[in-house]
Amino acid sequence: MPATLTERYISATVRSLPPESQEDVRAELAASIADAVEARLDQGEEPEVAEREVLTGLGDPAVLAAGYADRPLHLLGPRHYLTWRRLLILLLWIVPACALVGVGLSQALIGAGVGTIIGQAISTALTAAVHVAFWTTLVFVILERTGADTGERWSVDDLPEPKETGTGRADLIASLVVLGLVLAALAWDRLIGLVRIEGDWVPVLHPGLWPLWTAVLVAIVLGEAVHAVVLHARGRWSTGLAVMNTVLAVAFVSWALTLFGNGRLLNPELLELARTVGGIDAEAMHTLGVILVLSILVIAVWDVIDGWVKTRRDARR
Amino acid sequence: MSDAVDTHLQELRRGTAVLACLQLLREPGYGYALLERLVEHGLPTDANTLYPLLRRLEKQGYLTSEWNTDEARPRKFYSTSADGIRLAEALQQEWRALTESLSSLTEPDPAHEES
Repeated sequence: MPATLTERYISATVRSLPPESQEDVRAELAASIADAVEARLDQGEEPEVAEREVLTGLGDPAVLAAGYADRPLHLLGPRHYLTWRRLLILLLWIVPACALVGVGLSQALIGAGVGTIIGQAISTALTAAVHVAFWTTLVFVILERTGADTGERWSVDDLPEPKETGTGRADLIASLVVLGLVLAALAWDRLIGLVRIEGDWVPVLHPGLWPLWTAVLVAIVLGEAVHAVVLHARGRWSTGLAVMNTVLAVAFVSWALTLFGNGRLLNPELLELARTVGGIDAEAMHTLGVILVLSILVIAVWDVIDGWVKTRRDARR
Repeated sequence: MSDAVDTHLQELRRGTAVLACLQLLREPGYGYALLERLVEHGLPTDANTLYPLLRRLEKQGYLTSEWNTDEARPRKFYSTSADGIRLAEALQQEWRALTESLSSLTEPDPAHEES
């Protein structure tokens, strides 16, 4: 004889309960269901209809079992949700970025091609993000199930300070001074040379940059200056300013990396002196090159993100 | 009735099931009979809420239970323990205090009028 709906219902309910309470719940639930069905039969219902109605009224056996076992019906409850969310966001900012830079750096140092470097770095960063999300969540789900306490308590000291977005007079002056120094360094490098090796001044930048490529760099620097002035005048970031900031960063990266990739950024005379006088071999030179490229990329990406974050923050003010 | 009103009513009723069970089980009773008596008293409760609740209260020591096998169908009878009666009295008192407080919100306040 096939199992009745009631038997199946009861089995489904007690299955996930602790063994010591299973028999008791089984017997009690059987009596309760039988009582309820009987009451319906007394009112003239068909036996099958009565059984179905009673079981439907009791609802999903998994929900009933959770009630008996006092188990939560959610993955993460309000006690841990915010701690989980804060930690996850923090880790997702840090870990994939470190993986990206670390893998990119190591791939570049072993001399991998640009495609391999980018592909490896991005896939590792994505894998890292998935792992971070999974393991963090798993730990919190276990905390939730075991009723453990993370010890996090909110206090008034946690209130965030209002954040400045760098539109004040001091910020403008600082920006303009830095940009002025860059222009002065450019001129000095062109006329005399920035590095002094064995009593001689040697320019850092490639002499072939003059005049066209130098003019492009000066234009980018002047663009930055205009950006700083407009930002100060408006007193707040806007989408237009963030776009301008992004365009300038991309322009600078393209300028630097194109020239560097073609061996036209740095003065070959300086590199030669580094090899002969400084004793830097080809491998060390390659490593320094990779670090230079990576630094330019990281700073530019940071600058672009910073602009958009400040735009968002100012939009909420 | 709108969903929002339903939700508020449910919020208000939450917790009354415990008090109702403790009071009704001063006389021993079993699951299904208790369900029917709750309906008679105008406190309908879902079976899938009540049955786990009875076990929880038993585990916490507010109810005691005993299997009755005198009849053809063996049933688990619960009754309110001494602790349970104390809890019921505390809850009942709180409920009365709440009712008074809530009523006073819409009644003229004599102390206030005098001043």
